Amino acid sequence: MEWTAETWEFVGRYLGAGFALGMGGIGAAVGMGMAAGKANEAMMRQPQQQSVVLRTMLIGQAVGGSPSIFALVIGLLILFKSSSASLAGPEFAAAVIAAGLSIGLGCFGSGLGCGWPGGSGCEGVARNPRRATSVSSSMIIGQAVAQSPSIFATVVALILLFVPVSATGYAAFGICLGAGVAMGAGALGPGIGSGTTAGGAVHGSSRWPRSQAATLRTMLIAQAVSQTPAIFGMLVAFIMLFAMRDLEGDIIGFAKTFGAGVAVGFGGVGPGIGSGTAGEFACRVTAARPRTDALILRTMLIGQAVSQSTAIYSLIIALVLLYVV
Amino acid sequence: MDPAALLSILNTVVGQAAEQAAISGADVIKAGALIGAGICMGFGAIGPGVGEGFAAGKACEAIGRNPQEAGLLTRTMLIGQAVSESTGIYSLVVALLMLFVVAA
Repeated sequence: MEWTAETWEFVGRYLGAGFALGMGGIGAAVGMGMAAGKANEAMMRQPQQQSVVLRTMLIGQAVGGSPSIFALVIGLLILFKSSSASLAGPEFAAAVIAAGLSIGLGCFGSGLGCGWPGGSGCEGVARNPRRATSVSSSMIIGQAVAQSPSIFATVVALILLFVPVSATGYAAFGICLGAGVAMGAGALGPGIGSGTTAGGAVHGSSRWPRSQAATLRTMLIAQAVSQTPAIFGMLVAFIMLFAMRDLEGDIIGFAKTFGAGVAVGFGGVGPGIGSGTAGEFACRVTAARPRTDALILRTMLIGQAVSQSTAIYSLIIALVLLYVV
Repeated sequence: MDPAALLSILNTVVGQAAEQAAISGADVIKAGALIGAGICMGFGAIGPGVGEGFAAGKACEAIGRNPQEAGLLTRTMLIGQAVSESTGIYSLVVALLMLFVVAA
């Protein structure tokens, strides 16, 4: 069989849809399993609360499953996308594979992250069934924020699919793949981290309901800090997609853009997860001891700022790759 | 494998993809150093980020239990994080070496 432009397009469609649904499904599936596991534990301890636990589990799973639905939609768009005059052959393959990487890795993190608040929510309503509404609402707020990295990843995947890259030659491949990895891997850590923070907050506010307002405030601040690496990833992806028109089309142009994408994308995984862990402990202890909340918030922010330093090094290396070398 | 043979295979596969001029050996070395710098900093940043966040979380927990010792606990947290940061700084140094010494 001859290797033609059409062959490249089929390779791209199948690989891109595979990355999108393969990786995008894992996180949501594990997250929903975590919620179901905790629901079983809660029902075992308080069998008389089974109906309220089941309802909370289903709400948590429905919200936590939405990243996998984003992945399904983008995966189907990739699978049935037809080539056009401006996007065909190997360039088409690079764009759809990159869209698959962006949505697959991005939805992995958010889907997994939503498992922690889902599980804590089931435990919380069983422990404190009279406050089931307020526990479920903290759970849904936490999960909604944990999903924003997957929404960033969806936006970048749609841009990759529908806006042709202006650079030529190897640089076009580098820009597509680099932007996909920067956004996808960049959203992975923040999705998981925002989820663990929300898990700690739901646990704390169901156990100590009187300090719910302080706990939710700490949760939202911690989640916002934890999402900085996803914003760095989106920034670098947009720079590459829209501001690299006069990049040379040789293999050096490919290396610069792909290297920048890997640096800022994977560089954000650790700081995202780490800031989320700091937030989880801070939310639990704020709920238990609300009188020390200002001191805890200060320590959490100092610790998170130090944890973010490696994400900033990665951003610097990515910008040096794009603009200096 | 013979490097020249590898280069000719690379030229056939990617050359067909982009319909571009042939790639020279010097270009491959420079491109490798640039991608290597990205991989080095990207993956090198994972460990310090997770570790420092964990230290910060445990410090918050300890301060909640014993707020009088907040100064001591914050200082210990920062010392621990500074040590954990060292591998991130090694990655940064190696990435900068690859960008400005190897690829230059």
